[in-house]
Amino acid sequence: MIQLSKNYTLPEREEEIIPIKIVGVGGAGANALDRIVLDGMEKADLIAINTDVQSLASSVAAHKVQLGRAVTRGLGAGGDPEVGQQAALESAEEIRPALANARMIFICTGLGGGTGSGAAPVVAQIAREAGSLVIVFATLPFSFEGKRRTAQAHAALGRLNQIAHAVICFENDRMGDMVAPKAGIHQAFAMADVTISQSARSIVNLIQRPGLIRIGFDDLLTALRSENGRCLFGFGESDSDNRAHDALRQALKNPLMDKGRMLADAAHVLVQVTGGPSMTLSEVEILMQELNRQVNEHTQILFGTAVDGRMGNRLAVTIISSLRAEIDVASDVAAPLPVPAPIWEQPQEAAAKIDILPQPPVLAPAPAPDLIPFEPPPPAAELPPPIAPVEKSRSRVIMPRKKSEPEEEPKPARQKFGQAKQEVLQFEPVTRGRFEKSEPTIIEGQDLDVPTFLRKNIRVK
Amino acid sequence: MASNDLVVGLEIGTSKICVVVGEGRPDGTLRILGVGQAPSRGVRKGEIVDFETAMKCVHEAVVDAEQKSDVMIRSIYVSVAGGHIQSFNNRGCVMVPEDRDEIDEQDIEDVKVSAREVSIPASNAFLHSIIQHYHVDGQDGVLNPVGMLGEKLEADFHIIHGVRNRIQNTIRCVKELPLEVEDVVFSALASAQVVLTQHQKNLGALVVDMGGGTTDYILYVDGAVKQSGVLGIGGDHVTNDISMALRIPMARAEKLKLEEGSCVLGNCLPGETILLKDDSGFAGKEIERETLNTIINLRVREIFELLKRKLEAEPFINYIGAGVFITGGCSLLDGIEHLAGESFEMPAHAAHAQTIAGLTSAFENPQFSTAIGLIKYAQAVQAERPARGFRRLIGKFFSYG
Repeated sequence: MIQLSKNYTLPEREEEIIPIKIVGVGGAGANALDRIVLDGMEKADLIAINTDVQSLASSVAAHKVQLGRAVTRGLGAGGDPEVGQQAALESAEEIRPALANARMIFICTGLGGGTGSGAAPVVAQIAREAGSLVIVFATLPFSFEGKRRTAQAHAALGRLNQIAHAVICFENDRMGDMVAPKAGIHQAFAMADVTISQSARSIVNLIQRPGLIRIGFDDLLTALRSENGRCLFGFGESDSDNRAHDALRQALKNPLMDKGRMLADAAHVLVQVTGGPSMTLSEVEILMQELNRQVNEHTQILFGTAVDGRMGNRLAVTIISSLRAEIDVASDVAAPLPVPAPIWEQPQEAAAKIDILPQPPVLAPAPAPDLIPFEPPPPAAELPPPIAPVEKSRSRVIMPRKKSEPEEEPKPARQKFGQAKQEVLQFEPVTRGRFEKSEPTIIEGQDLDVPTFLRKNIRVK
Repeated sequence: MASNDLVVGLEIGTSKICVVVGEGRPDGTLRILGVGQAPSRGVRKGEIVDFETAMKCVHEAVVDAEQKSDVMIRSIYVSVAGGHIQSFNNRGCVMVPEDRDEIDEQDIEDVKVSAREVSIPASNAFLHSIIQHYHVDGQDGVLNPVGMLGEKLEADFHIIHGVRNRIQNTIRCVKELPLEVEDVVFSALASAQVVLTQHQKNLGALVVDMGGGTTDYILYVDGAVKQSGVLGIGGDHVTNDISMALRIPMARAEKLKLEEGSCVLGNCLPGETILLKDDSGFAGKEIERETLNTIINLRVREIFELLKRKLEAEPFINYIGAGVFITGGCSLLDGIEHLAGESFEMPAHAAHAQTIAGLTSAFENPQFSTAIGLIKYAQAVQAERPARGFRRLIGKFFSYG
């Protein structure tokens, strides 16, 4: 007879190490990078890129790239994006090896100045060509810094939006809401860096933690996919008695979330709940119930959960989502860019680039490694070439549609995921009777408003 | 003037609101003149959730009390409860100034302030700082250091704090009536004043005030408060469980709990049933008595076990000599002292207000323990600090008036 041992355990799921690089572009980028180092992100390579040698020298990043030796001669870009861009283009060949071999590249930058606004799009372009997932954290200048700076920042933001997979944008003006009115100005500035660091860290954790319900690259892409839209991001952590509620509230409080109001318009919302071994099902359930109240009923929720011993008593919630822009700005220009150029497309791409980058030749010969690990377009994209040249004049209109084909492809997988999620989430319908609408009493991870006999699974009658 | 000694306690509970009017006599005893009550609406788990409705109910109860005791109520002591209330022990320390070596009143105030110099969440406010013991130059267990010689005065305090806005809500609810709020008192602290005698406090005792929405507790060892707090579970949860398990309305479940329910298992005949009658008196559903008792037992046992685990975080529960005293509406549940004794592994009693004179029907009802305790507390405070002091300190944290 065969006997099955009942106390077997599944092999521990290994943490998947994904090569990640974090790039700080410009002065603000370097500051953000410093903060990330302070907060401890040992899993990622940090690269500082700047025109200003002094700032570069004081950066803690292991890898440094100086931009525009000839153009700026080691000085800053002087607030002129043109100069920043020139400098970046000049040093493109130095940037490229620095960004190679990463599946995911975070670019932190402050827009509005010279290096940030000018060089960041170039860096993003190079990163994208290297076949990585590119997520940009950008800070927008304070409105008191003047209209011109704001205009420069928005122009750069527009470009980044077209190039990167996702742009998470922090408005400095809103940092005031996050710190106490009496807090020192350094604290307010530090807040922006802290938010960036926290966001980067939680995205990395999100992907690398072996989860009970895993969130993968594909889910992240889905959540972040927006045409020129706005990224919503929230992170909350709590170890109080009512930690599920508190963590969620904190996440929704994030300045990027606009108190959760914006979630109502989001098409996809990615939620990851991480806790120590003490995290209970009912906590997760309560949290998701509360979140569901914030989102539209058609919203697809990509849910993931992970147990991490290092979390101890804490419970953390990460919410990532994106809003569609009202007007689909320039998606025809944007579309060709991200796909690293099958050869037949070359002339068209160059044409498109001229719209964005006045001086593309340096970038154009990019020997694009043509495999992007997280997007499966090559087969689909290579099929239609015979048609493309014929329709060259119209191709701008058609291109986006073609591009959308490969993008559509992961959808069935996602829907399957969605269904799986529902199965998991359909717990025993836990009812709380007259306490349905009141604030839950959660002690030791149990929702005590639920009748004891239900929680202890004791059959009465 | 008699009205000077008039003290009124108000408890805004989850199931009922209760106002007790008492009269302090020159010899220090208390007499209850009248009790007013009204069913409570707009309160959940000890906290006000519907301000307007709660205010109306408080008004009803106050009017009721005025009629029954034949006095005008102007100012009132209010009890607060709710899951947000927390507590901890802290030691304060001050050095006696060089120019004198005798400890005076000012040093006592200073040491109290220094004990409060701890970080509580910004949204919280202090409710009480209760003195446990003083230490003078390392000499332990000093009860009253005023007049003693010493250089260093230390004091252990038990500090109770809660979310400021929720406490303010309770105060506002009374002030809108309009009535003067003399003080806010943590409900378990009030109950303990009348449920326990000084002797029991010295021996060590745990008071568990199980109300409708919350279970408040306070633990005394050596005559000093060592632990206190609130669990946001109470009699309503028991009723809710019954209502959900037997699929009967809340009101019916409540009646069933009071009339037929028991915490003790195995005390009824096998197959013994209770016939539920519908409104017209006709026979309705039949339920097994053991089922009902199991539901109650599971919930109440859980509350006790939870409480015990909470208390065991600190060593004081091992020094309880007098036992557990259960009061509040839930203590009327049949067999609850038996279950408590079993859970806490020490003698347990269902208790009501002891140290008071007047209407027996009032003080023998454990539902009124907190409100009666409030007037006892008020009397003690007034005797101790004739004019200023407490009000001044409290006034810093709750700016009423």
